[in-house]
Order: sequence, then C-alpha cells, then structure tokens
Amino acid sequence: MMSLIDGNTLALLGAAIAALAGIGSAMGVGIAGQAAAGVVAEDPKKFGKTIILQALPGTQGIYGLIIAFLIMVKIGLLGGNMVALTIPQGAYFLAAGLPIGLVGIWSGIAQGKAAAAALQLTAKRPDQMVKGIIYTAMVETYAIFALLVSVLIWLRIEI
Amino acid sequence: MSIIKMQRVAVIGLDTEKEKLMNQLMDFGAVELTDQSGKLSEEIWADNTSVDEDREKVSAIEAKLNRAEQSLEVIEKYGDIKHPLFKTRRSVKKSQMGRMLADENANEKNVDYILGLNEKIHSLNEKLNKLNQDAASLNPWVNYDPPLEITGTGTTALFTGVLPAGADTEGLSAHLEEEIGTVLFKVVGSDKDMFYTAVLTPEERQDDVLAELKQSGFSQVTFKGMTGTVSENLKRIEGEKDVLEKEIKETADEIAATAGMKNGIEEYSDILSIDLDKEKIRAKLLKTRKTFFIEGWVPERCIPEASAILDENGCYYTFRDPLDDEEVPVLMENTKMVVPFEAVTEMYSLPAYYGFDPTRIFALFYAVFFGMMLSDAGYGILMAVGCFVALKKFDLEGMTYKMVKMFFYCGISTTIWGALFGGWFGDIVPVFTRTFLGKEVAVSPLWFNPLDDPMKLLILSLALGVVHIFIGMGIKAYMQIKEGKWLDAICDEGFWYVTIIGLIAWLGGGTISDSLTTVGMYMSIIGGAGLLLTGGRHNKGFGKITGGLSNIYNITSYMSDILSYARLLALGLATGVIAQVVNTMGTLFGGGIGGLIALTIIFLFGHTLNLAINALGAFIHASRLQYVEFFGKFYEDGGEPFDPFRRKTKYIKLED
Repeated sequence: MMSLIDGNTLALLGAAIAALAGIGSAMGVGIAGQAAAGVVAEDPKKFGKTIILQALPGTQGIYGLIIAFLIMVKIGLLGGNMVALTIPQGAYFLAAGLPIGLVGIWSGIAQGKAAAAALQLTAKRPDQMVKGIIYTAMVETYAIFALLVSVLIWLRIEI
Repeated sequence: MSIIKMQRVAVIGLDTEKEKLMNQLMDFGAVELTDQSGKLSEEIWADNTSVDEDREKVSAIEAKLNRAEQSLEVIEKYGDIKHPLFKTRRSVKKSQMGRMLADENANEKNVDYILGLNEKIHSLNEKLNKLNQDAASLNPWVNYDPPLEITGTGTTALFTGVLPAGADTEGLSAHLEEEIGTVLFKVVGSDKDMFYTAVLTPEERQDDVLAELKQSGFSQVTFKGMTGTVSENLKRIEGEKDVLEKEIKETADEIAATAGMKNGIEEYSDILSIDLDKEKIRAKLLKTRKTFFIEGWVPERCIPEASAILDENGCYYTFRDPLDDEEVPVLMENTKMVVPFEAVTEMYSLPAYYGFDPTRIFALFYAVFFGMMLSDAGYGILMAVGCFVALKKFDLEGMTYKMVKMFFYCGISTTIWGALFGGWFGDIVPVFTRTFLGKEVAVSPLWFNPLDDPMKLLILSLALGVVHIFIGMGIKAYMQIKEGKWLDAICDEGFWYVTIIGLIAWLGGGTISDSLTTVGMYMSIIGGAGLLLTGGRHNKGFGKITGGLSNIYNITSYMSDILSYARLLALGLATGVIAQVVNTMGTLFGGGIGGLIALTIIFLFGHTLNLAINALGAFIHASRLQYVEFFGKFYEDGGEPFDPFRRKTKYIKLED
C-alpha cells in the first residue's frame, strides 16, 4: 500500500485537485445559465448579453486547468517520460494544486450566484449590464489570487 | 478643465417668434431646456402664466410614430433583411429634407399598406388556428362513419359522446343490453384520456340510456353545423388549411416585397420623432397670451452663437453662473486620443459638475493594464486590426464608436506587451518549427518571459498600482486644495504618501541600500504618527483618539488596494499558459499532413476561445482597477448628462 504513494503520486494528486476547480465553474455556470434562460424567455434579443454573464464563472475551471497543465508539464507527464520525484517534491506539487482547487470550487459557486443576480439586473435595466459584470468580477479576484499563489509555488519547485 | 462650464440662460420672447426660435435652437443643438412647471407653485407665476403644451397634438404625432415603427418591425419580421455587424445611421443631406417632407403622404400610405397586410396575416393565422382546433377535435372520431348530420331514424336515436379513460366499456355495454335491451353501444376510438363512443337506441328509450351512461361519466358530444362523415370533414379542413397556408405565404411575400419602402419609412419615422420632440419641448415653456418664457443651460463657449439666435428673434435674455444648489448638467471634453476612454467613465457614472473628470488621467493606465493582462502580440494585432477595419468600414457613433476605438488602442498596447513578454499566440513559433520543420526557432522576448521571472512582473504590477493609487490620492488632494482645505490635503493624503513610501523603502529598500531602510523606517514612523494624531481632528472628545486609531487601521485597505494589482501578473500568465496548452494539444497528433490539419483546427478554435475569454477578462479587470482602486480615492459621481434640445434621429444623420 505504501508503495503506491511516491512523489509522482502526490504530484498527480496536486494536478487532480487543481482540476477540481472545475466543480465550482460547472455549478456557477449552471446557476447563471438558469437565470439567463429566464431572462431570454422574456426577451430573446438579450442572448448576447446573457451569454457574457454566464461565461464569467467559467474562469475558475480554466485556472484549475492551467495549474494542472503546468504540473503535468513540469513532471513530464505529457512528454511520456515522468521524472521520478521524491516525496517532498511531490508534496510541493500537491501544495501548488490546493489553492486554486479549493478556492476555485467555492468562488465559482459564489460567482455564479452573483452572475445570476447581475442577469436579473440586465433583464430590468439592460443599460446597466456592465455594472453587473463588475459586481460579478469582484468575486473573481480571489480566484485570481489563488491562481497566483498556485503559480508562485509551482515556479519555485526544483526538480 | 475637462468638465465644460455651463451658463444658465433665461429668455422671454414674443409668441409670434416662438416657432422660428425653437427650430433654430434645435438646429443649433447646444441648449438644454429645463422644465419650468415648478415655477407655477409660486403665486405670481401661476396667476400670469401657464405651461405651453398641446397634448392632443403630441398624442396624434405619437400615434403616427408608433404606426411607422410598427410597420418597420413588420418589414423586419417578414423581409429578408441583412443586418450589418454594427447598426449605423445613414447620412442624408439637409437639402433632401424637402423631398422627405413631400413624401409624407406616400409614406403614410405605405405604412397603411404594410400594417394592413400584417393585419391580414394575423386574421389568416387565427383562422388557421381555428381549423387546427377543429381537426384536433375531429381526429379521434375518424372511425365513426355515419354522416354527422344524422341523429337517428324515425324510430331510433343516434348520438355520440366521451367516457373517461378508466371506464369499463365492455361491462357498460353488457349492462345496457341487460337493462334496456336493444342498444348498440360502440367504442370508435380512444386515447390516453378518453373513450370516444357512439350509441344507437330506440328513440323512446334515449333518456333512460343517457341516464345509465351518465352514471359512468358519459358526456355527450355533438357536431353542430357539420355535414358528411368525419373523414370527409377532415379532408375539407385539410383543403381549407392548404388554401389558408398558401394565402399566408403569399401575404408574407407581399410584405417581404415592401422591403424597398423601408428607407422611406425610416426617414419618415425620424421626421416624426423630430416633430414630436418639437411639440414635447413646449411642455417646458411657460406662456402668457402674447409671450413665452424659457430657461436652460448653455455651455459657456456657445454663448455668442446662442445670443445671436436670441437677438435675431427679438428675445430678451440673461446669462448667469449656476447657483450652488442647482443641478448642472455635465458635458465632458477631452482630446481626441482620450475621448474613447470616456466610455469607461460613462459606464461608472458621470462625474458631478463640480467634481473632476479623470478620463485623461486613467486612459493611459487603462490601455497599459489591458495590455499587460492580455499580453499576447498575436491577439493584440488581431484586436487592433479588427477594430481598425470596423472603424473604417462603419460610420460608428456614440458609445459604440468609443468602445471600438478604445479596444483599438488596447489592442496596440496588447501587441507591445506581448512583444515585450515574447507571446505570439503563446509559443506557436517554436512549437510549430519543432514539430514540422525539425528545428526549433525560438522567439525571444524583447524584455523578459514572465514565466521565467514572475517576481519581476509582480513587482512591476504592484509598482504600477502604487503609482495609480498615488495619482488618485493626488487628485483628491488637488480638489481639497482648490476648495481651500489644504490642511485636509496634508493630513489625509500627505501623511499617507509619507507612510506608504516609507513602508516600501523600509521593507524593500534593503536590496538597494541599507540607509534606505533606515530612511524608510523614520518616514513610516513620522507618517504613522501624523495619521494617528490627525485622524480624529473632526471628532470630539474620546473620538479624537479612536479616530486616529481607525485612521491607522486604514493601512489594511491601502495594502489590499495595492495587492489587487497582482491580477495584472496572474491574468497575464493565464493568457500565456492557456495559449501554450492550446499549442501543446495541437501537436499531440505529431507531424505530417494529418498533424498539420489537427494543429490548424485546434489552433483556430483554441485561440479564438482564449482571446474571447481573456479579452473579456482584461476589459473587466482593467475597468475594475479604475472603478474600485482608483475612483475610490477621489471620484465624486452623480452628474446628469447634458442633453441639449437637438434632432434625435434613429435612422438618418442630417448633414449640411
């Protein structure tokens, strides 16, 4: 059993956890999509506007993908020749995956809710849509910071 | 400077000159008339004047305008009309006005014609619906073959009806035979809700049979006014439907053929809305029997021309500066380069009249921030070229023009930053040459690659943030000094400058020189002490102490403001890394023709997506940095936009 856990396992776990940020995005985009469908039911011309707001909570998943990809590149998974990592090295990669993985989940959901409210705003006052976008983007700040922390950790890992 | 100074104008003139004056003011288009009905609450005004408005005339024009707009919607719906990417107004020479006015009757006729056709389609559609309903109600009876007009013979009665789906029809049939004797009970059709049944009985037992059936939930169905069998009727309905559908199609084609009238009706609609505005503006006039009175706002520089118009019409008028408690409309003025960035200010909210228009200050920052966050020369060139083409090809106006022009500048900035950081569609050049040419051609960044040295870019981002925030505080201090509150400027902004610069030198100066650390330490102590001592200067008693403490605590908000600029690094990295992901995925299929095709498809799809998402992100976050971090330091918003009396047209642009 213990032989299962080497440095590479930990590093891959890190990549997997980073990709979990997609959970947040999926839920956020879903929440926003429900609200968007309601708005478009009233006025089909608003499709273009609503799609922008619906896309906003999608970025967390992309950030998670970035980190997962960076980790896979650095440990040589994509090239086919995985570097043999020590357990501490693997743990560093795990640490790099955590911030965006965890923050991504909850910020994606929260951003989805903000986007849904912004969609209501757009339904009633289409001219005020940009303000709704800004409110929604406020949530994103924290996902960006998590991405930054993940990237900085990843950059400093020596292999 | 950049908010235009306004003057209040008050005019008294003769009723006979009113129409000419209003026409000239509309052509002039630089006077905002304000509502005067408030004056009527004062006795002296109420006794002598009344609001000059003609509601009937307004609603008559409104009705015409609505019909014209409605007919345009109808053309839009049935006509095969291509929509350009941007909606623009046609240029029409002013000399054409005469022709357009002469066409009024013809246009009114066209509107009638189109609305008539629309009406016709509506009634045809209603008929079609009715037929569809009839067909739907007959369909279950398709196996019932006696002609529908027959309800019995001399001695028998024949009737039809439905039973709920749960009914036991066989049991019922047996039961009827037992009770009544000669009864023919037949199920002719069924669906998930109903049994459709026909019953033949001796005429004298009809009521008994009905009574029995009703106990099982039977309800009679009659086919009033129908003759012939069900299938004959269905056939007839099909035939009628075909005729109707053909007619609807023909009418729709007729409407589509009117697309040529569109331009004329659009011009007509615009002329009507000009007329409507002329009538509506009268509600802002006060009149006596022979004179009228108006008040409004004029930009200071337009006074000579405005005076000339008023003189020409024999008016008595005065100009004065706005009073402190008056709400003055706001008109921003900026140089040609900066105008596009007014879009960002307008989206937030216009500055207050006595406030400060920061557009020309943040314009450069906006473009720089945008460029750093998108930071790919390939994307930048695409954006700049796309916007340039749109600007050349379309005669854009207003907000659309500003946005497109702004993205053009942002595209240039993105190209510059992309070249500095070495991003050309990510790393497509080395990836492509390595996979297909067997020899890697590296594109070296003009400055440095952020992935190699992210700390450098982080420091640059935060430094830009500090400069940005300091400028915001500087504007606040400038405004305070202008109002004579120089003490506030020193205590609120001055001490913060000292403290923040001191802290930066104290914490980060060690890498340059040790003495900088010492200087920084003393600066931050002096600044901090100043903040502590003066923070509560407006409070009383105990508040003087807590005010100072809470003032010091504000350091956290300055910290978070500055750290917020770390997004410049993070979003810049995000664009670059996603671009690399796309390129790597494209090369997973190896070299050769197949690989090249795969790479092309993945390249086009992936980079389009990446550009769309990250351009949106860069736009949002560049705006956010202005709104939250920058505007938060000084901005006073809430100005009402200057809305002069002018020709507001939707489809045409009148030119001299």
